Order: sequence, then C-alpha cells, then structure tokens
Amino acid sequence: MEKEDLAPHVSEIARVLGGKVEESEIWKELDTYLNHYRVSLETAKRGIVKKFGGDPGALTRGVRKPIQQLGLNEQSVDILARVVTVNPKDIEVDGKPKSILYGILGDESGTIPYTAWDADRLPLQKGDVVLIRNAYTKEWGGQPQVNLGSRASIEPQPADAVKLPEGAPRAFPDAGEVKVSQMRENMGGVTTTARVLSIEKREVEVSGEKRIVFSGVMADETGKVQFSAWYDFELKQNDLITIRGAYVRSWRGIPQLNFGERSQVTRPSIKFPTGAELAKAKARSIEDVEKVGGGVDVLVSGIVVEVRKGSGLIFRCPECNRVVQKNACRVHGNVQASPDLRIKAVVDDGYATMTAVMNRKMTESIMGTTLEDSLRLAKEAMNPDVIRERIDEKLFAQPVEVTGNVTSDEYGLMMIVSDAKISVPEVRGEASNLLAKLEGSS
Amino acid sequence: MITREVAWRVFAAEYNSSSMEMKGEEERAPSYIITPLGAMVNRLFVVGVMTDVENMGTTEEPLWRGRISDPTGTFYISAGQYQPEVALAMSKITPPVFIAVVGKSRTYSPEEGTMYVSIRPERIAVVDEKIRDHWVLETCKSTLERIAAVEDALEMESPSVEELVKLGHGKMLAEGVMKSLPHYQGLELDRYRTMVIDALKYLIPEYRIEAEVPEKVTEAPEEIEDEEKEDVDNEEKVLGIVDKLDKKGKGAPWDDIVEEAGKSGISKSELEELTNSLLDKGLIYEPVLGKMKRI
Repeated sequence: MEKEDLAPHVSEIARVLGGKVEESEIWKELDTYLNHYRVSLETAKRGIVKKFGGDPGALTRGVRKPIQQLGLNEQSVDILARVVTVNPKDIEVDGKPKSILYGILGDESGTIPYTAWDADRLPLQKGDVVLIRNAYTKEWGGQPQVNLGSRASIEPQPADAVKLPEGAPRAFPDAGEVKVSQMRENMGGVTTTARVLSIEKREVEVSGEKRIVFSGVMADETGKVQFSAWYDFELKQNDLITIRGAYVRSWRGIPQLNFGERSQVTRPSIKFPTGAELAKAKARSIEDVEKVGGGVDVLVSGIVVEVRKGSGLIFRCPECNRVVQKNACRVHGNVQASPDLRIKAVVDDGYATMTAVMNRKMTESIMGTTLEDSLRLAKEAMNPDVIRERIDEKLFAQPVEVTGNVTSDEYGLMMIVSDAKISVPEVRGEASNLLAKLEGSS
Repeated sequence: MITREVAWRVFAAEYNSSSMEMKGEEERAPSYIITPLGAMVNRLFVVGVMTDVENMGTTEEPLWRGRISDPTGTFYISAGQYQPEVALAMSKITPPVFIAVVGKSRTYSPEEGTMYVSIRPERIAVVDEKIRDHWVLETCKSTLERIAAVEDALEMESPSVEELVKLGHGKMLAEGVMKSLPHYQGLELDRYRTMVIDALKYLIPEYRIEAEVPEKVTEAPEEIEDEEKEDVDNEEKVLGIVDKLDKKGKGAPWDDIVEEAGKSGISKSELEELTNSLLDKGLIYEPVLGKMKRI
C-alpha cells in the first residue's frame, strides 16, 4: 500500500488516541503491523489503538459515501459535506432537556436532512465543510436521513473540499404536472388542475410589507391542498382551474401550493369531479402521506398499536392551556386546573405509523362516555389513569379509520382527528377474491 | 428524526425461518431481524390463539412464556420483570384465547449458526375472532407484497434498492430484500405462496368444512360403497397388524405399525385415518401413548 493511501488511517488512529501519540510513532507501528506481521489494515488499526490504551470501537468501520448513495439503514458511514443549514432545537430525551441541531447537508451528489443529537459536542456552523465520521441513517418518508449520534465525530475540512452544484440545495427542477397528493415541499414549476373548494381574502404582513392573499383549499381526485394565491386571479368557490408555474412550501409538514403574478391560471372545460364529490376526505395510506410530509382532510386506516401516555383525563392551566401535573403549571405555578379529555393513539398499518390526536369531543364520542363520567370514574378509583386504561382497553389492537389534517415534525406524523371510528372490515369477500386471483395465476 | 419503528405483519412460519440479524451499533440505531422475504422486523403486530402460557421464573422474578398460533405456525413470546404490565396480563390469561400482541423482535443464539426468534411484548390484549381474521388477511396481503418484491429482485440482472422502488415497492422492503437475497439462498417462494393460499382458505368457511369431511363423500356418491369397502378391508388389515405386533399384550408400538402398514401399501396418512376410525368404533385403544391395542 502506498504511503499516501495510509495517511488518512494514520490521522484516524491519531484522532482516536486523542493526540496522545505522535503521528510519526503511529507510522512506525502501522508499518510493523502491516509489513512485518502482515495483518489486515483493520486488524492493524485496532491493534495499535488498543496498544496505546484507546477505544478501538471509535475507529471508523464505515466507508465514506456520497450523499446520493446513502442507504436507509447505514450503521456507520462517513460523509464529506457542506453544512447548508443549521437549526438549533431543544428537546426532551428521557425527561432530560437536550440541545440538538438539524438541517441540511450537501455535496456534489445531492442534499440530505441531518440531525446532530448533541449540539455541544458537534458544533456545526452554516457553511462549514466537514468530514463526518460514524454517522448512521434512518428512513423518513422513504428517504434516508443522516443522524450524528454518540459515536459520531466531525473534522473540519478546507472550504474547497466540497463544491456544491450551482444554486444548490434549492435547485429543484420543474416538477411539471403534479397531482395534489404528490405535492411535496420545495417543488417548483408545478402544473396542476384542481377545483377551488373554499377561498377567502386576507391581509398579511410579509417582511414588514402588507400584502393581500387569497387562500383556501382546493382538491383533485387524489386529495385536498391548502393554497395561497398572491395575485387576484378572481378565483371563486367551485372554480375549476389549471395553474402553471406554482410552487410548494410546507407549514409543519403540510404541503401548501403557492402561486402569484408570474403563474398562469386558466379555466379548462373538462370533465372533473364536482365540489360535493371532492369535499369528502380522501383515503390514503400513511406511507403516502409520510412521503409528502402531511396533508389536509386525509382518511387513514390502521391498527391502534399504542395508546400513549398523556391520554385520558388530563388537567390544563386556565391561563395557557398547558397540561399541568398536580395543579402546578410550568409557567403559572399553582393554578385551579380545568379537566379535559384527549387520546394520543399510535395508528400503524404495517407500512408506516402516525400519531392520532383526539380532543375531548372525539374522545367522548369514540368512548361513549362524557368528561363528567370520566371525572366520576377517576374519583371512584382515586386514580385519573383509569381513564387512559379504559381507552387502551377499548382501542388497542382495533382497526380504526381516522380523518383529519396531518402535520409532521421530527417525531413523525401527527393527525388532528376530526372524525374517528372503530371498524373491523369483513374479510371473507376479500379473502375469496384474493384466493381466486392466486389460484388462477398458479 | 425519531421515527417509530413500524409493526410488521408477518406469519409465524416466515418469522421463525429467519436466520439473519442486523444489529444496531449506534445509541439510537435499532436492530432488525431480516426474514427470508425481506421484512426488516424490529417491531411486529401479531394476532393468534394463545395456546399455552407458563411462568418459567419465580413469583419474585417472573418469566412468563407463551405460545401463539397462527394458521402457519407458532410465535413464542416472553415477558419478565422488566415488562411488569405484560407479565401481569399474561398471568391472568387462561388459554385458549384470541390474543393480540405488539412487541419487539428478539433473537437467541445458543451456538454459532443457530438463531431462534421470539417476541418481547410491549402490550398484549385479549381480542375476538374478527380481529384475528382481519390480521390474517392483512398478513396475507403483506406477505404477497414481499413475495412479489423478492420475485422482482430475482428477475433483475443486477437488483438494487433503487430499481425495486421504481417498480413500486416500499423503500424499507426494498432494502430488506437486498439484504435477504444473498443470505437466504435457494428460497422456495412457492412454499410461501402456498402458505398464503392456505391462510386465505382458513378465512373462508366452505374450506373449513371441506377440511373436516373427506372429499370422497361429498364429490362422488357412486363410489362411496367401493371406497368404504376398501376402507373396511384396510381396517381389517390394520387390526391384523396390531394383533401381530402386540407380542407382549401391552400394545403394538406405533412406529412398527407404520412400517408394517407401509408394506401392505397403506401410507402413513391413510393409516392415521384408519386408526382414528378404529378408535372411534371402539375396536382398538391406546393403552399408553404411542401404542395401539385391540379391545
């Protein structure tokens, strides 16, 4: 092996040993292991690190990959990239506050979202070019995401080590003809045909400037989408329109269609579902919604695989509506908390999962008991958790159909449920059809 | 992104045939069992009949084990002191009962090269037959999708995750299939297809009846007499064999009966039917397990 090929391995060993050992010393050791004892490079590296009292586990086992080639479940991978965006966020992990960073990494091959799970140890800055070692990836919406966990490390690199393509990372090609359910964040040059279901004129402030926007909901046969028209196209409810040159931005994961002066709006005379037909919530798979990050008035079926903590009888601060424990609000101290009901259920269809949040009205309707009943039951049992247990008994393992708006954040998809029912479908008919198809084909 | 692991729908026969595990090395990287059809199972949802539940531990340190049957085989579940809610729930169950389980995949390797899989439940609950039937149908569909993904991959010259996704397969499944293909050589897809067909039949009442009444009776009335006569002849033969092999008057060993009957052209499954009939008629009985004796 050539000397220059070995150089990165020497600096890696030096890194793992925390600079305790001179690089010249490591060169000598590595030479002995490789040329005298003739062991493999991996074995040599482990051996040297061990010998000097380091942790061989900290050595890279992964290989370096361009962003485009990252898989969904990389266990250990190195990435040379430019930090395109950095956003700090405070989260709670096992009850402890923690600062994390998230954003986008880019290289010549593409861009990818990342999360650095320790903002203090991994201080990424916008514009930095870094070599990230021992990262791993996880799947989100069918795409990989980079995670920097406890084993990850970052090494600063010269700024010219990564050249991003012109206009990256927002260089999205024109999306062309797009159905409503396929709209996802950052699409540009969108052409779509849809019917306006509702519209209102609003005045908003954009960077200190007052602007008029016409916003509402429109739909095609695949689903509904919120829109904002930044120019008065004289749109009216029930209009069927084709828009060219629209773009998609997301709000809490929900894709929203935007169009303005530079977009064209025409009114085609084609056969299209009526407003009444389009008003019904559209059934979609969780995976499909996940791919685009969210949606408006979506119908989802799945099994309740968990009724999460915080479901059931809860108490809220009368000042700020926060959920309080033992009548003490985090912000307002001791308060006379008011009771409320809610359900946070994890719905899983075998391909993806989503949290369905039901308010008091939905909870009362699916459980068939009122808030007053629940308070009485909790009092009798002298334990408010009995309500969560009852909900769990009623919903766990049951097939449900839930409708609502779906948002997403770093914890995944969440639906604010506007309609819910337990429904166990009849299986015989479908089983017979499937059987006939299988036996017919074999 | 802290995404929740999806609960896969996998039949026991596929799950139990798994011999490949992908261990998570990072603090938040999960482990997966890769099934022969490429499911990457970290969590699963199972509904079946709990046939057996037992505390293998002590009262202080319980270790509850249970078996759950589906149309294809048996899932093994276990819960100890670190799953107090599940352990308590299991202690209250009297089998047989329909049960739903959401749990994490677990492996156990007593020696190099062997791997047993089980489920560590997060939550279990008694359910009804409808929920079970719905699960069987969902699992049939999910299994068929995996079979299709494996088939597509096998047909490709150089299969890849991207190519599979292009054909409409989920990305997670595509990754799983790319991992399972090189590991599970000589995969018998027909076996899994037959398994799905059998599971579907399980959901359709007509097939259930057919399984209980011999086809001959329902299909061809003219032949009944012949068939019955042949049966009676064979029953005589079996009685003769039992007599002959019962040398000490303590009953004839089953294995010897099978061998002897084979020589007379009676297959093992035929023999089982014949002895059942003889047992029903009260002509033979089982003095101890595995022995037959004439009355």
